[in-house]
Amino acid sequence: METYADWVRARSDEELHALLSARPELLAPVPADLTALAARAALPAAVSRALDRLDRFTLAALEALLVLPPPVTPDALAAALDATPGQARDALRTLRRHGLAWGDEAPAPAPGVRQAVPHPAGLGPPAREAFAGYSAERLAGLVTDLAGAAPRAFADSELLLRRLTELLADPADLIEDAGPDARAALEQLAWGPPVGRVADARRPVRLDTATTPIERLLARGLLAAEDDRTVTLPREVGLHLRGGRLTRDLTAVPPPLPAALPAASGRGGDLVVRAAAGAAFTAVRMIEDLLERWGLDPPPVLRSGGLAVRDLRAAATLLDVEEWHAALLIEVAYAAGLLTRSGDLDGDWLPTPAYDLWLLRDTAGRWTELAHGWLKSDRAAGLAGERDDRDRLINALSEGMARSNAPAVRGAALGVLADAGPGVAVDAESLRTRLAWLRPRRGGPARDRLAGWTLREAAVLGFTGFGELAPFARDLLAGDDPEPGLEKHLPELVDRVLVQADLTAIAPGPLVTGLRRELALAADVESTGGATVYRFTPESIRRALDAGRSADDLTGLLARHAAAPLPQPLAYLIEDVARRHGRLRVGALSSYVRTDSAATLDEILADRRAAGLRLHRLAPTVLASGLSRGDLLDALRAMGLAPVAEAPGGGVIVTRPDAQRAEPPPAADIVRLRPQEHADTSMITAAVRALRAGDEAARHGAALRADAPPGEPPRSPAMATVERLRAAARRGGRLWIGYLDQQGRASSRIVEPVRVEGGFLTGYDATRAAVHRFALHRITGVSELDEERTGGTDETAS
Amino acid sequence: MSDGPLIVQSDKTLLLEVDHDLAGECRKDIAPFAELERAPEHVHTYRVTPLALWNARAAGHDAEQVVDTLLTYSRYPVPHALLVDVADTMARYGRLRLEKHPTYGLVLASSDRAVLEEVLRAKKVKGMIGERVGDDAVAVHPSERGALKQALLKLGWPAEDLAGYVDGEAHPIDLAEDGWELRSYQRDAADAFWHGGSGVVVLPCGSGKTIVGATAMARARATTLILVTNTVSAHQWKQELLRRTSLTEDEIGEYTGTKKEIRPVTIATYQIMTTRRKGAYAHLELFDARDWGLVVYDEVHLLPAPIFRMTADLQARRRLGLTATLVREDGREGDVFSLIGPKRYDAPWKDMETQGWIAPADCVEVRVTLTDSERLAYATAEPEERYRFCATTDTKTKLVQALVDRHRGEQTLVIGQYIDQLDELGALLDAPVIKGETRIRERERLFDAFRAGDIDVLVVSKVANFSIDLPEATVAVQVSGAYGSRQEEAQRLGRLLRPKASGAGARFYAVVARDTLDQDYAAHRQRFLAEQGYAYRIVDADTVLAGDEI
Repeated sequence: METYADWVRARSDEELHALLSARPELLAPVPADLTALAARAALPAAVSRALDRLDRFTLAALEALLVLPPPVTPDALAAALDATPGQARDALRTLRRHGLAWGDEAPAPAPGVRQAVPHPAGLGPPAREAFAGYSAERLAGLVTDLAGAAPRAFADSELLLRRLTELLADPADLIEDAGPDARAALEQLAWGPPVGRVADARRPVRLDTATTPIERLLARGLLAAEDDRTVTLPREVGLHLRGGRLTRDLTAVPPPLPAALPAASGRGGDLVVRAAAGAAFTAVRMIEDLLERWGLDPPPVLRSGGLAVRDLRAAATLLDVEEWHAALLIEVAYAAGLLTRSGDLDGDWLPTPAYDLWLLRDTAGRWTELAHGWLKSDRAAGLAGERDDRDRLINALSEGMARSNAPAVRGAALGVLADAGPGVAVDAESLRTRLAWLRPRRGGPARDRLAGWTLREAAVLGFTGFGELAPFARDLLAGDDPEPGLEKHLPELVDRVLVQADLTAIAPGPLVTGLRRELALAADVESTGGATVYRFTPESIRRALDAGRSADDLTGLLARHAAAPLPQPLAYLIEDVARRHGRLRVGALSSYVRTDSAATLDEILADRRAAGLRLHRLAPTVLASGLSRGDLLDALRAMGLAPVAEAPGGGVIVTRPDAQRAEPPPAADIVRLRPQEHADTSMITAAVRALRAGDEAARHGAALRADAPPGEPPRSPAMATVERLRAAARRGGRLWIGYLDQQGRASSRIVEPVRVEGGFLTGYDATRAAVHRFALHRITGVSELDEERTGGTDETAS
Repeated sequence: MSDGPLIVQSDKTLLLEVDHDLAGECRKDIAPFAELERAPEHVHTYRVTPLALWNARAAGHDAEQVVDTLLTYSRYPVPHALLVDVADTMARYGRLRLEKHPTYGLVLASSDRAVLEEVLRAKKVKGMIGERVGDDAVAVHPSERGALKQALLKLGWPAEDLAGYVDGEAHPIDLAEDGWELRSYQRDAADAFWHGGSGVVVLPCGSGKTIVGATAMARARATTLILVTNTVSAHQWKQELLRRTSLTEDEIGEYTGTKKEIRPVTIATYQIMTTRRKGAYAHLELFDARDWGLVVYDEVHLLPAPIFRMTADLQARRRLGLTATLVREDGREGDVFSLIGPKRYDAPWKDMETQGWIAPADCVEVRVTLTDSERLAYATAEPEERYRFCATTDTKTKLVQALVDRHRGEQTLVIGQYIDQLDELGALLDAPVIKGETRIRERERLFDAFRAGDIDVLVVSKVANFSIDLPEATVAVQVSGAYGSRQEEAQRLGRLLRPKASGAGARFYAVVARDTLDQDYAAHRQRFLAEQGYAYRIVDADTVLAGDEI
């Protein structure tokens, strides 16, 4: 009889490829052969993981396979699921592709599925199994009560169980007999889960001793005691209560998504893409603003590794957004590698050198980097500021933000957005319903929250506008370049401002960078959005003057960029502040010389020996020096003067601290990737070939060298192998090799050879994700991985 | 990329580029739901506040209209969150309604039970409500109608007051349009008020708010109580009503410090209403003295807190608030909304000026430089004396004299805060001084003489800030003020804005001491006017003293 393993072995390369694409975790590490693959695919953990990927309908189809009497035809399945045969066939195709159902004629659930689904379709075990734990005596009592007469002869448990099953086949009268309150209890269990908890479930009850509703049910075999505290609804009873149906409110297609907001509809898709592009632009701007600030004034890294709540709040205030929004931007900057911690202990959060490169790109390019960072980040930014299970505050940028399923849920939510056509808006509720259909087993409040966060994050990052995915975001998700699509919708930069007599300046759009910096220096930002409103105050003007600008610089800047002449009040303000600015000068010096006679100071300054004293005349009778008091005293004495020490002049110092940068620590991976969710195609192709080879090897019970291309004369295997390894090391390609381990077991590895020397091959073992050394004499065969065989065997050394 | 005149900012301000072709239409469309915050020369700033959105709801606009307007005129994509927020905020208005009930009198009803439960649980609301009337309504003590509205507004669930008004005691009042005509905006304002039932009309100084009040009275045709800021203003109201309406001397009563007349139309001052005797308000009975059909609040931006409390009890009567500057330095705009009513009409100053309803005004800030000895004295003055010192320096006095001389022959007001300084100026300029201690009769005599042109220079203290009608004043010199009060500055300018018989413009000088607190306060004081589009020119004192063209 054919087994699951036989079925797996009989799959074509394409089918194996499909299976491994659908369940990439089966490849870590690559199994030795197809039998091992089949065994692994049937492990409960692996099955459970595969079930997690099924949508509600396909899952129901699989559960129906467990419940329906075999063989199950597509028509029977369709009837049980209340769907069309086509839909049933599609579901079966999916199940076969995932290796969860097998058998080409009559589909059967793969081994392991039964264990992974304890209550298929919410039904309990058949009576035969449910009562299997009962003693023969108890069974005899049950059968006696149900049949109205004692069994004719002494029967063993097997016979009693069969008789009981027959008696329960049509339980309508029994249920009627048990009374309405008992029926209500059964209805509770009818649609699953089919188990209930009661005290002392195994108490022996007979019809005449039963008093409570549960006892009446137990006495009639309508409930079976599973253990001391659990009762189960036998499948026959459950199906009867459901009127024979396996499922309720099951749809073969996902629930529809609602139409777009009335405001957005009727204005065309242009509104969506413009809104999204606007948000994308704002997100990029905000991250730049924040990192610029942090480059100058970095927040410290908490001892626990995150960002202090106070600093998060300050960032939110700076950007004029809510805290979750600020936390998102910070996490995205981190995920995109623009931000990292400096040093080991007591470090700061600082922009990385990659940030400087990022700054050099145009807005669309910058957005793309941020978008990729967000997509792969395993942080849930929405958690910032909440408390974890142990009631500790979760800080932004800390490990507490990590949720391993975040990228998957984000991907699924964006997938829903991508599936929704134009004119269809996705809100949190419709997304929740859709995800509950698509991935019913991965549901729960945690996922719903993550999905909800994804929506609002997608909106502020510019993936969506008015709840719809923008075309450029669609391109990004499809793996295409979003930049051309984004670029043409980004707001145009302007280089003109409207300066007004009420001391405000309005930039009617995003400003070019240089002007933006200068204005931010000379005026306070009053409001942001499509435009920016700046207000000039004496303090802001002073700030610009402190940073080395002159009054003429400021009026010149405004005159160049303003449409109208400078309003008089502003000109007066600048002039007034400038007039007072610098009237008092403050400097630092280490010593001074004071005298009543200006002539003496003339004399000192004229003296050549005084050249090294770094003297500076502050006033006719005061000299300042950079030397310490002691040194100055000594030097003056050496010049023949007789100074005395006295208990405490300079220039304007332009103070602007240099922006700092931190190198990311060499080992720090900026984002932890989860590679097994997305194995690339070439990897899978290679693995399929490795499996095939391993299977060959296993079938022949001996290591087999790689099949040489047909038509080639046989070569010395060892020599050919070594040559091909060398060639691959030179080329930098990947190979699969057959390898015998120290116990003589054959295995297949995918290796990137680095060098071949001293009888060993050193290379990166992709199947084990580490660099390994392989003894050349144990390598049984080599095969190319890439589709085109580049004439490898011809490269024999001559 | 569309090219609308409007930019929607993330902090819910709207920037309107006034030179844009569509600016006029856009202004009209956004005015119902956005408050004009600033109106300088190029870009006007409006703010979408919950209060403004509820005002719009009260005026019959819905969220879809608002969203549509924003999307239509916006140059850049409007943040989705903002639109959602607008819709949410507007949806809050009217969930709760104050209605008449045949058995319970007044009930608070709701179509949204959750909202009703929420507000009933609020501590503030306890004690204002009576027993439950079914699931969706609760009885309200009629006396708590105002307080409840105030509390609900604070909770963010403003109630729509559908309980209506008492008609009051009928009294025939008609406009007497002989020799003058009701201006179109005055009619619009009175109409907007009347349809809304209660509310506030915002019009610039000098644009005839009294006439709007008179028109409202002619609509109500009922006994009316008018509350004004001071006695002189009360007299002016009386004169104006006699001139503009069919009312006769005998029908108008004054209820002030000197007279206590209660007549079908009674004019009372805030001061008398807030006078306390033995801890109790002595004149509260005025509100019940007659069955008033209309209560008019003049200069509603100055409404004192006790009047708010009294007004809470007057919710069944129609209420009209009048003001030029609905900025309250105490931030109680929400109380004005809930107790007097939503803003029903509003027109920007500069629009009125271009239409010729108010005189064009030229604002000049004259900067004087203190002498070295004055600077030293200023620097060493006690902090609480510093403003007084820099505002009253001799240098300023000299300059004021120069300014007054320059405008000899024109009707000139010199306005200041400090009595000593005013007395000194009065002596120097040989002009009468009106201050707090000047008797009402004397004040009126002087104002009449000024109006008649017998006196051309008048020195006045803050008593002349409001409601004093001096149509022919063309020049004002402000030497000092109440610190940084924006509305005082606007009101003082307002004294000059009555259209002149000659059609000439007005000139407003603010004399400011350079590099002192005076200058900082001046900058703050000018903000309201700058925001209304009055650009101050700055002139140096030397230019004035040298007699050069300003």
